[in-house]
Amino acid sequence: MRTMVLLFFMLLAVYESAQQQTLEDKVQNLVDLTSRQSIVKFNMDKWKTLVRMQPRNYSMIVMFTALSPGVQCPICKPAYDEFMIVANSHRYTSSEGDRRKVFFGIVDYEDAPQIFQQMNLNTAPILYHFGPKLGAKKRPEQMDFQRQGFDADAIGRFVADQTEVHVRVIRPPNYTAPVVIALFVALLLGMLYMKRNSLDFLFNRTVWGFVCLAITFIFMSGQMWNHIRGPPFMITNPNTKEPSFIHGSTQFQLIAETYIVGLLYALIAIGFICVNEAADQSNSKDRKNAGKKLNPLSLLNIPTNTLAIAGLVCICVFFSFLLSVFRSKYRGYPYSFLFA
Amino acid sequence: MTSTTAARTASSRVGATTLLTIVVLALAWFVGFASRLFAIVRFESIIHEFDPWFNYRATHHMVQHGFYKFLNWFDERAWYPLGRIVGGTVYPGLMVTSGLIHWILDSLNFHVHIREVCVFLAPTFSGLTAIATYLLTKELWSPGAGLFAACFIAISPGYTSRSVAGSYDNEGIAIFALQFTYYLWVKSLKTGSIMWASLCALSYFYMVSAWGGYVFIINLIPLHALALIIMGRYSSRLFVSYTSFYCLATILSMQVPFVGFQPVRTSEHMPAFGVFGLLQIVALMHYARNRITRQQFMTLFVGGLTILGALSVVVYFALVWGGYVAPFSGRFYSLWDTGYAKIHIPIIASVSEHQPTTWVSFFFDLHITAAVFPVGLWYCIKKVNDERVFIILYAVSAVYFAGVMVRLMLTLTPAVCVLAGIGFSYTFEKYLKDEETKERSSSQSGTTKDEKLYDKAAKNVKSRNANDGDESGVSSNVRTIISIILVIFLLMFVVHATYVTSNAYSHPSVVLQSSTNNGDRIIMDDFREAYHWLRENTADDARVMSWWDYGYQIAGMANRTTLVDNNTWNNSHIALVGKAMSSNESAAYEIMTELDVDYILVIFGGVIGYSGDDINKFLWMVRIAQGEHPKDIREENYFTSTGEYSTGAGASETMLNCLMYKMSYYRFGETRVGYNQAGGFDRTRGYVIGKKDITLEYIEEAYTTENWLVRIYKRKKLPNRPTVKSEEATIPIKGKKATQGKNKKGVIRPAPTASKA
Repeated sequence: MRTMVLLFFMLLAVYESAQQQTLEDKVQNLVDLTSRQSIVKFNMDKWKTLVRMQPRNYSMIVMFTALSPGVQCPICKPAYDEFMIVANSHRYTSSEGDRRKVFFGIVDYEDAPQIFQQMNLNTAPILYHFGPKLGAKKRPEQMDFQRQGFDADAIGRFVADQTEVHVRVIRPPNYTAPVVIALFVALLLGMLYMKRNSLDFLFNRTVWGFVCLAITFIFMSGQMWNHIRGPPFMITNPNTKEPSFIHGSTQFQLIAETYIVGLLYALIAIGFICVNEAADQSNSKDRKNAGKKLNPLSLLNIPTNTLAIAGLVCICVFFSFLLSVFRSKYRGYPYSFLFA
Repeated sequence: MTSTTAARTASSRVGATTLLTIVVLALAWFVGFASRLFAIVRFESIIHEFDPWFNYRATHHMVQHGFYKFLNWFDERAWYPLGRIVGGTVYPGLMVTSGLIHWILDSLNFHVHIREVCVFLAPTFSGLTAIATYLLTKELWSPGAGLFAACFIAISPGYTSRSVAGSYDNEGIAIFALQFTYYLWVKSLKTGSIMWASLCALSYFYMVSAWGGYVFIINLIPLHALALIIMGRYSSRLFVSYTSFYCLATILSMQVPFVGFQPVRTSEHMPAFGVFGLLQIVALMHYARNRITRQQFMTLFVGGLTILGALSVVVYFALVWGGYVAPFSGRFYSLWDTGYAKIHIPIIASVSEHQPTTWVSFFFDLHITAAVFPVGLWYCIKKVNDERVFIILYAVSAVYFAGVMVRLMLTLTPAVCVLAGIGFSYTFEKYLKDEETKERSSSQSGTTKDEKLYDKAAKNVKSRNANDGDESGVSSNVRTIISIILVIFLLMFVVHATYVTSNAYSHPSVVLQSSTNNGDRIIMDDFREAYHWLRENTADDARVMSWWDYGYQIAGMANRTTLVDNNTWNNSHIALVGKAMSSNESAAYEIMTELDVDYILVIFGGVIGYSGDDINKFLWMVRIAQGEHPKDIREENYFTSTGEYSTGAGASETMLNCLMYKMSYYRFGETRVGYNQAGGFDRTRGYVIGKKDITLEYIEEAYTTENWLVRIYKRKKLPNRPTVKSEEATIPIKGKKATQGKNKKGVIRPAPTASKA
């Protein structure tokens, strides 16, 4: 009996010391693990000792994900990349003390499906924060990807909210855009160099005219709004299954309708130019030879009357169409032309 | 003898043209003025909206106390307890202009109140804008096009939106200054005279003193100069006009206190300086080219340019890095990187006029001119010359900016009017000309054509058959039809502009208007009712807390001290008010005590269905508060469990207990709209509110206007003992409570009430 008690006390002491050691050991272990890689890859063992077992004085930010190509998870990869950015920033920019307070880890479904079962998880990716005081059975704090998104800044904010450790997110610069632009510029310059004997097209006013007009049509049809707000291309009515290209409110627009509007503006402008060209042609017939080269319309040799009438019809029809599109959005607008 | 008659007819024709021009411009002025008076005819002569109230208050102050007192004015009634230096933080051009007009009228013994001057300033300046546009277009194209452009700008809704009577804002006079500066710039470029360039700089000075949009000018003119250099259109005229303009303009613009040293210290102004330097180099090279050999010239050109370019870039970045030159400001970035503002500066993103522009507002503001202005642009490019490069650059850059921000539609409108004027006048010039002079030339051309195109006889015959009635291409019938239809389009524009001005842009927003079922107009004057109540019933130094939108109006109409206002210069102060609004009552009470708040004012539209109320703006308050106090305010706490923003049945606990909710819906549950509707039906949101039995503990209702639009609450003074429920306060209370062991917190019992047994 006495020996039993002694043994028991001894065991207890050993356990205590082991446990005492474990905390320091655990932290040291984690620091070692994260010295080479900025995140810890968990298997069942590490998971149990490092995350779920007390005592802990550090926070674990763990992402549950499924990265193997067998599992169909298209957003796991981008989420993982963003998570890596935060973890790397933490590793390189946070202070020594902060790095001992927060660790980043990952559980891949392929490595440790048991952990998924243990946590009762069916979906991925999920980001959990296991606070230092969190018991073994408690539910950890989850980050809401739906609302906050999963980009690195949002994750950083989540970490700061939960642990008071502010990670300065440093995104490795994305070289794609500059490279693409540089390539494009190089291509352009190369083409210019190749064609250096005939740089006439730079002085071609028609080309410049088309470029400027294209810019105005793009912006006037609200493409900038599309770019910023990202509306759907078109909407299908859930009841009638009828697709609608034009949204019925002035505050919103669909991509389809902006294309329609841009096209209408362009057609009206073309109609107007046709009308003017008709007059120009009739006025400058004596300068026909010179005019013929400049003017692509006169090459078609359309009779000026027809051209003028066609232009006029173009203006009238398309402007009234534009007005009716506008009326369908701006309820109660009283004026229309040709058709309602 | 014949020569004198010819001269006389010529001079009489000139006289007739001048008379016609003057008459047209005068009519444009009159029409522009008249069409902006809808608001006054319907309501009364009052100042509109928010910012104009501040401008009016500042003008009033200036007229009362003099210009120099105004420049040194420290306004202790705004941004309590910080105050605001007004003289150094406003563009004084507007106030000085109306003060000057007031002074002139006064000295002519024609006494009007300064308010009338302020109300009618913008419509008056719309006429001047029309004239400036005429002058600009005349320089760019022809006097005819100028008249078209003047008429367009006089009524164009894009410009009317900012210049109706009562809309006493910087933009009203700034567009005139903008157009006039452009006219003088084009003029000085054309003549190459220092006089015009100096006048241009003076006009630019006026623009700088009037509106922050002057940055657009100081970037557009250098861009024009740069484009001209690149196109090989450098001339000594450009050199003279640009250098004299730049030097004078920079010095003059630094005289405005608010601008100060910005022209030499911020990145927005650096391109102008860079072009100034470049122009010197180009001028030097033009000078050197004739004096040295080609070999030397190439060495000088390539070597010098590379070194200077690299050096200037290095120096620029060194200056930015060293803090001598400020980098580009956030507002500027948000124009290029369209996602910037949303992430970094919520206060900019929250303003509705900083949103991107839908195509509907383009069409709404420009109508037919939007469709025709590309035509004018096309012909300007086709027949390009030095000054037309300017309008091309102006149009293309302005259309980009207008796409990014709704309010910059204002800078696009003049360009559109000029180019649409050019487009229309180009067509009408062709289609309304006398037939006789052309018939002669066309018959000549017909014969020459016959001689030349002998091998295309068949086609020629056909075309001659087609033009049988009229040899000059387009037959006279077609001409007439086209002219008439184009005039119909112009009429439609006039009708549209009047409709838009009357229906969309003539609401003072201080007075609301709605109509009953049988078409009667109801005017709801709740705002002025509330402000008048504040003015009459509160202490002179009472502090009123409200969201910043109403700061200027409270200061202007109620003459009470406000905490935050529309001059959003201090984000953390605004965030504090936002935090007070979105905290629970106890926490809000702490903040309000710290800020010495006496009254709280909320706008509530649930009774009449007014959608611009504080509940709809509330999310922005939460966001801005969260930006500064992420510990205490969390946006997600204000959403329903499904992640929606709602004050109805599913609203979250935080939402139902926040100060804004309580103040908006206090006793609202007792109201009933119809027989069969439940009490507390919010007409703006369209549902019954989530919590009806709201009790207030630390504040009490002081006043609610007729239609419940404005609700004013009074912060209760501290009772005999503080009763802040510390466990409810989300602000951590400093200092440890000594509650352990025997030192239990002493509790003062309420004084025993004497009761007769």
